[in-house]
Amino acid sequence: MNNPSEQPVETTEGGGMTRRTAIKALGATLGAAAFAQAIAPLTEWTENMTMDEYLQKHYKELSPFDLGVVMSRLEAETKAETGVDVHIGDYRPQPGVKFGYALNLSICVGCRRCAQACHVENNHDRPSGNSYIRVLEMEKGSLDLAKGRVNYDKPVPSKDKFYMPVQCQQCDKPPCVSVCPVEATWKESDGIVVVDYNWCIGCRYCEAACPYHARRFNWTKPQIPPEEINPDQGYLSNRLRPQGVMEKCTFCLHKTRQGKLPACLEACPTGARVFGNLLDPESEIRWVLKNKRVFVLKEDAGTRPSFFYFFDE
Amino acid sequence: MNKKDVAEHVTSYRRFLWRAVSDATDGSWWFYAWMILLTALALTGLHAWAVQVRDGLGVTGMNDHVSWGLYIANFTFMVGLAAGGVMMVIPAYLYHDHEMHDLTIVGELLAVAAIVMSICFVVVDMGRPERFWHMIPGIGRFNWPMSMLTWDVLVLNGYLALNLHICGYLLFKRFRGERPDPRWYVPFVYLSIFWAISIHTVTAFLYSGLGGRPLWNTALLAPRFLVTAFIAGPAFIIVLLFLLRKLGGVPVALRPVQVLVNVVRVTLLINLLMIASELFTELYGGGSHTASGHYLFFGLNGANALVPWIWTAVGMGVVSAVMFLRPGVVTHPVWLTVACALAFTGIWIEKGMGLIVPAFIPSSLHEIVEYFPTLVEWQVTAGIWAWGFLILTVALKIALPILREPHPEAKVAPVAGNASSAETRIHPAST
Amino acid sequence: MKRRAPICLVLTALVLVATGGQWLLRASASGADIPSAAQSTQVDATTQTAPVASRPEVPPHRPRGHHPSVATGIADAHGNTTAVACMTCHATRASDLDNGAAGGTPKTFHQGLAYAHGGQSCLSCHHSEDYDALRLADGRKLAFSDAQKLCSQCHGPQTRDYLNGSHGGMRGYWDKSKGTRTRNTCTDCHDPHAPAFPQLTPVFAPRDGAARQQAERDAARVRNSTQPSAHE
Repeated sequence: MNNPSEQPVETTEGGGMTRRTAIKALGATLGAAAFAQAIAPLTEWTENMTMDEYLQKHYKELSPFDLGVVMSRLEAETKAETGVDVHIGDYRPQPGVKFGYALNLSICVGCRRCAQACHVENNHDRPSGNSYIRVLEMEKGSLDLAKGRVNYDKPVPSKDKFYMPVQCQQCDKPPCVSVCPVEATWKESDGIVVVDYNWCIGCRYCEAACPYHARRFNWTKPQIPPEEINPDQGYLSNRLRPQGVMEKCTFCLHKTRQGKLPACLEACPTGARVFGNLLDPESEIRWVLKNKRVFVLKEDAGTRPSFFYFFDE
Repeated sequence: MNKKDVAEHVTSYRRFLWRAVSDATDGSWWFYAWMILLTALALTGLHAWAVQVRDGLGVTGMNDHVSWGLYIANFTFMVGLAAGGVMMVIPAYLYHDHEMHDLTIVGELLAVAAIVMSICFVVVDMGRPERFWHMIPGIGRFNWPMSMLTWDVLVLNGYLALNLHICGYLLFKRFRGERPDPRWYVPFVYLSIFWAISIHTVTAFLYSGLGGRPLWNTALLAPRFLVTAFIAGPAFIIVLLFLLRKLGGVPVALRPVQVLVNVVRVTLLINLLMIASELFTELYGGGSHTASGHYLFFGLNGANALVPWIWTAVGMGVVSAVMFLRPGVVTHPVWLTVACALAFTGIWIEKGMGLIVPAFIPSSLHEIVEYFPTLVEWQVTAGIWAWGFLILTVALKIALPILREPHPEAKVAPVAGNASSAETRIHPAST
Repeated sequence: MKRRAPICLVLTALVLVATGGQWLLRASASGADIPSAAQSTQVDATTQTAPVASRPEVPPHRPRGHHPSVATGIADAHGNTTAVACMTCHATRASDLDNGAAGGTPKTFHQGLAYAHGGQSCLSCHHSEDYDALRLADGRKLAFSDAQKLCSQCHGPQTRDYLNGSHGGMRGYWDKSKGTRTRNTCTDCHDPHAPAFPQLTPVFAPRDGAARQQAERDAARVRNSTQPSAHE
């Protein structure tokens, strides 16, 4: 049963062994050289990486001072790379505020200006035309997403159609947060689900878990012409993202946490979008919830969205 | 254990490692050709991965709609193969089947190689692999127990450690010419049996827990994963045993092969039943949540890239199931190898391209985006497979002396021994 | 469908010319809860022409100047359009109530005005004695700056929604304690003579693989089917 070809190993202990050892050594050297050649792109990749960035702690573990240092470093990096002076702020949730969003499907005309404003405001990758908002052209009389389409190009609104923009629903039970293996994404006290771009490992489990196609991955390093960069940036929102990490709609927290309206709402020509503080009984969002018959998308998924849809009739 | 013993162990362990390295790197020219081929493939894959890390995952066919592809498909399959490896162990230890005993190390070495491959497939799927330390408890933030992925990290690494310990201990003892002490490995063998079930159950929960993906969101997923694992694992081991007999001069008795054939025969049929059940549930009721199933089996709105894949897998499953039922096939090494290859490939397609990818098609907003792996993905995938085969070849090479020893009690039947008597049959090697 | 958008735009432009887009209304501090036109601030040419500007190409129907006026259609020596105040004609000439009755385009004067706003007559909204003012349903005069009150007589639900922030859009601050906001009035978006919101050309079509693949499949379906277009 023994394979004769295995025999030399046991028998030729003398000169054969040295020749064999020499061949082995040669093979190992060649292998090591080939290995070095194979991983050469990794060395190119690490050239732009600093040890500070690599060892940076999780957002929640950074002291205000450390975070200040990090944000200054990011501003300096942006300046060096693009020549643009940007301001990165760390905007925290306000006490007594929980954000809610409602969208009137009766008056949304599907012009996609919200998606475009999102693209501009949030410093999205230009070549892919990324946006956190996807607008579906839907069949009247049906809420079946399977009948929707996104690449409509005729003048809107079309007869027999209605239009449903979908973005992050800022769920109260966000599946994306529970699946993250490293707690790189979490829900803040004002309801916004955020991502620490410097902590995410890019496994995309959250993208698989989200029922609303709300998450976006940076498949390549986002590219924006310097003159188009929005310099008013938030650390957890629209600052320039690194390659290989997840991002998502933050209700423009760099604006909304300063009391301003989100970019998508300001862009809406019909006023289909209503934004406000769910904890304020006098707010417009509360008026909508009280006086309109609102619904949430995929309620059966059990995600408890903070984003509501309604029709006038 | 006194100081001298420890020192003696350390030096002998060093010599053991040296011996293992020289054993693993000696062989015929065919062996060298095989190793060079695998090394070349692995290096090609490594280079493709390095390019992918530098340029981003945009070089793959994945996108925001189909966010997992070939890598995670192979990861899932590899976890199954690792779990299936213990199919050699279960009959040997739970049923005290002595003839299986000496071959258990084959299953465990396969498990080691498969686990390493599955971990590699996760690493190459990461956008920021250098941030792996974020997952290490203590210095990172480990989202346990909420994230099923953290469970998977735990059970996969635990399973790797378990199997490394068992294989390493047996080989080391054999090298020292000592009898392995059952207290040092039998409990771990039992643990590895349950652990094998757990790695694949946890991996199934990784997917089936996602309410937003109807194709995965089924209680049948974990049982299906286990059944397919117990097809792919034994089918691979059967072929491996034939190869060991032919190339390595290992005396392989008929019984272990028969046991494995019986396992595959049953699991193939159960798997077909499970596919049929899923298909019925998808097709009879209909509705939007069945769109992925429709897409997979019949195509949807003119998109049908996966239809040939899945029907090939189903065809392979049916053909191999029929073959395994034929006595003429299972006693004929060549036909049995063909049947095993069909079963193995069928499961690879079904669990990979047939399960991971279609869950994303249509997307959660019902957009239909088809997925086509790019050359980089195929290179990386081939590289990891080559790397796995490299590990397996080297490991088996080191274990060959153990495997070659004919078993004195093998012909004694029926054996009414118990697990602790196992160690009496591992003989000191004559060095 | 595709052809209708330019026609709409042309009609809209005609309506604007005919009705005199150069009205002016002085900011009158109307104590009413309905904001006056002047409260909606500068949404001017710059924001309307910039491609990425968030305001759409809807008919801006903003009265400018001291008195309501209509364009004459005649250019002056410098090539500028000229306008004539309403009262220039209406002070001397009785209104012809049959002119363009039951909708459509007036036969004499105001020609080109495409009227499509229910079965109203001109004097349902314009004051028969003071053409510099509007007329409420009970006959009271209403300044042009308070036009929203006129609209709300019939369009109650829209007014209610508008007052509660869910119609018409806004810019600025959601938190009123931190800053102000800018709002449109009815006539910023709706032409009072043809108030239906016009069709818009959608911007910013998705450019990712999803859209590309969908387009390819659509094209294949069109090729394979006998009908020239499988969907609209």
